[in-house]
Amino acid sequence: MLQNSFVSNPVISARRLLRSYGSTHALNGIDVDIAAGTAVAIMGPSGSGKSTLLHALAGIELPDSGTVTLNLPGQAPVGVDGLGDSARTKLRREAFGFVFQSGLLIPELTAEENVAMALMVNGVPRTAAIARAVDALQQLGLAGMEQRRIGQLSGGQQQRVAIARAQVTGAGVVFADEPTGALDSVTGSEVLDVLMRCTVGMGKSLVMVTHDRQVAQRCHRILTLQDGKITADDSVVHGPRS
Amino acid sequence: MNTLHIAWMLARPSSSGRIVQLLTVGAYTMVSAMVLIVLGGAWSFTKLGSEVQGFYIPLAAFALVLLIIPLLVLGSAAAKLSARAQDRALSSLRLLGATGFQVRAVAVIQAAATALAGAICGVVLYLALAPAVALVKFQGEAIGTAIFLPAMATAAAVLAVLLLSVISALAGLRKLVITPLAVATRRSAPMPSWMRAVIAVGGIVVICTLFSKVGLLPVGLGVLITVIISGFGVGLLALNLIGPWLVAKVSTAKLKKAESPEQLLAARMILESPSGAWRQVSGVAMAAFVAVIGGSGAAMFGFSENEMASSWEKHLGTDVLTGVLVTLSISLICVAISAAISQCAGTLDRQDLYSGLHRLGVDLAIVNKARVKSVMIPAMTVAIGFTVASAALVLPFASLALLLKPLTVATVLVVLLAGLLVIRCSLNIADPRRLLADQSRR
Repeated sequence: MLQNSFVSNPVISARRLLRSYGSTHALNGIDVDIAAGTAVAIMGPSGSGKSTLLHALAGIELPDSGTVTLNLPGQAPVGVDGLGDSARTKLRREAFGFVFQSGLLIPELTAEENVAMALMVNGVPRTAAIARAVDALQQLGLAGMEQRRIGQLSGGQQQRVAIARAQVTGAGVVFADEPTGALDSVTGSEVLDVLMRCTVGMGKSLVMVTHDRQVAQRCHRILTLQDGKITADDSVVHGPRS
Repeated sequence: MNTLHIAWMLARPSSSGRIVQLLTVGAYTMVSAMVLIVLGGAWSFTKLGSEVQGFYIPLAAFALVLLIIPLLVLGSAAAKLSARAQDRALSSLRLLGATGFQVRAVAVIQAAATALAGAICGVVLYLALAPAVALVKFQGEAIGTAIFLPAMATAAAVLAVLLLSVISALAGLRKLVITPLAVATRRSAPMPSWMRAVIAVGGIVVICTLFSKVGLLPVGLGVLITVIISGFGVGLLALNLIGPWLVAKVSTAKLKKAESPEQLLAARMILESPSGAWRQVSGVAMAAFVAVIGGSGAAMFGFSENEMASSWEKHLGTDVLTGVLVTLSISLICVAISAAISQCAGTLDRQDLYSGLHRLGVDLAIVNKARVKSVMIPAMTVAIGFTVASAALVLPFASLALLLKPLTVATVLVVLLAGLLVIRCSLNIADPRRLLADQSRR
């Protein structure tokens, strides 16, 4: 059983992570590093602890024990596990981007407003935020759809909006939980192309939970989890195709 | 398995659904208690002398008519909350092959059962509050035991609440399209046309012109009442025409000026359905009309009561003011409760989105501020807009009232402001930071 997965110059380091739900060990002593500028896929069967690991690394959930350290370039290391709820919320808002399976877009807002919201909650004035959001959407092939409501977009377009929102703040690490899980294979592949281009293609780190081996093969590394433990840490020979 | 059995099975909530069911029962409790208190107050006038009854009962009936809309909105909010609690289960039923009739029957049975539980609690609340309400004075004497309705009237009121829940459940089902794919979708409402405003303003101008002529004439009591009641009637018609349009216009302006995330989100939430936003606070418009027109009437009666010959007429000014304040208070309480219920339903509906946004790093305080603004912007718009509009409608009387009895007018306006404050406070119950934390702890 592989118990650690270390790299040099990690942007995120997790040590001895433990997280239990009742008698179930979602994380059972995991050590893992995420190298800057790399794409890491987390795979495993349902209930193996994939999403819990992603949540722990992103500061969404606190582990029962263990440490998660964020090492952003030019900044002092931050102990994510030692932060309170509001500090972790601020950290997620400023340092991370997220793409979830459901998109989590606000239905009343337009596409550009959904993207701009990520900047506005960080204090960017609306006009500047909208301009950057429009630019991000256009780069992702959504030119002309900026003013559309979320309900007027297809599933693939909605995920592109979510990707634009994740990268518009300039966050160095993007977490994705089954980002193509709700899409057909062709649309999923297109969305994955966009996600890779906007993250590792721009020197950012990507941590992605997926069930799909073909999706995982697009990353630098594949971590396989079973019963809360890393059972395999494989480097992908050809590296990511962004 | 018959429909009644299915309804019974679905009526046993999961631990997460219990809070919704408690809120729904609480909502019907408040509806029933309010209806019974209002009816009890009106009933108490039948104990007055026949000469007095001839004047007071039409005014009480008029107040009842004014309270119908806030009470209906409150009942509808309770029914929507009830439907929200069941929509997933009902969608699943459709998926399992239940017919549309069965789904409707289950929804109606559940709504009626919840309403019955709430109505029974409402009767208890009415009986508990009655001693306090009985202290209100008319004709110089406390209402006393006259506040208690006969048993048959109480039963009829409970039945009316049940009927309201059934009608609202059916109407709610029509709007909430339950598909066999277990997807509950809401249809978005169209933007209100500017023609509404033109028609409403035209009507108000015509009535204002007529009223200004009447104001110049030496009018008797009967004419005065006719003028005031006509003003109410036209005003109410104009309200429902102009209300959604006004809310949409103000929100569009707010959207253009929005700088903060909560301002942007609030304006978009209102514009998603201006008619819905209007309906939620339409009771405030009603209250504004009651405040200005009723307050003006009370001031004028109060000024002339010393000149009135008969003994019962001497109390007229005070009693009309009491009636106005009671109607105003009940109307605003209904708005506060219905807004709180609707907001709870909205927060619970969006549980997944709000939790997800929090994971993304969005502070739920922003979401909460947006939610509060989405109610208070229409409420303030309506309060200011319709206070000004109703003052314009009865300008001669309102001006006279302000000159002759400024304290009366001030009292009424203070109650209106206090009501808005109560509405604002009631929204705290649906704060996602607290409500969703309560849910997740269960």
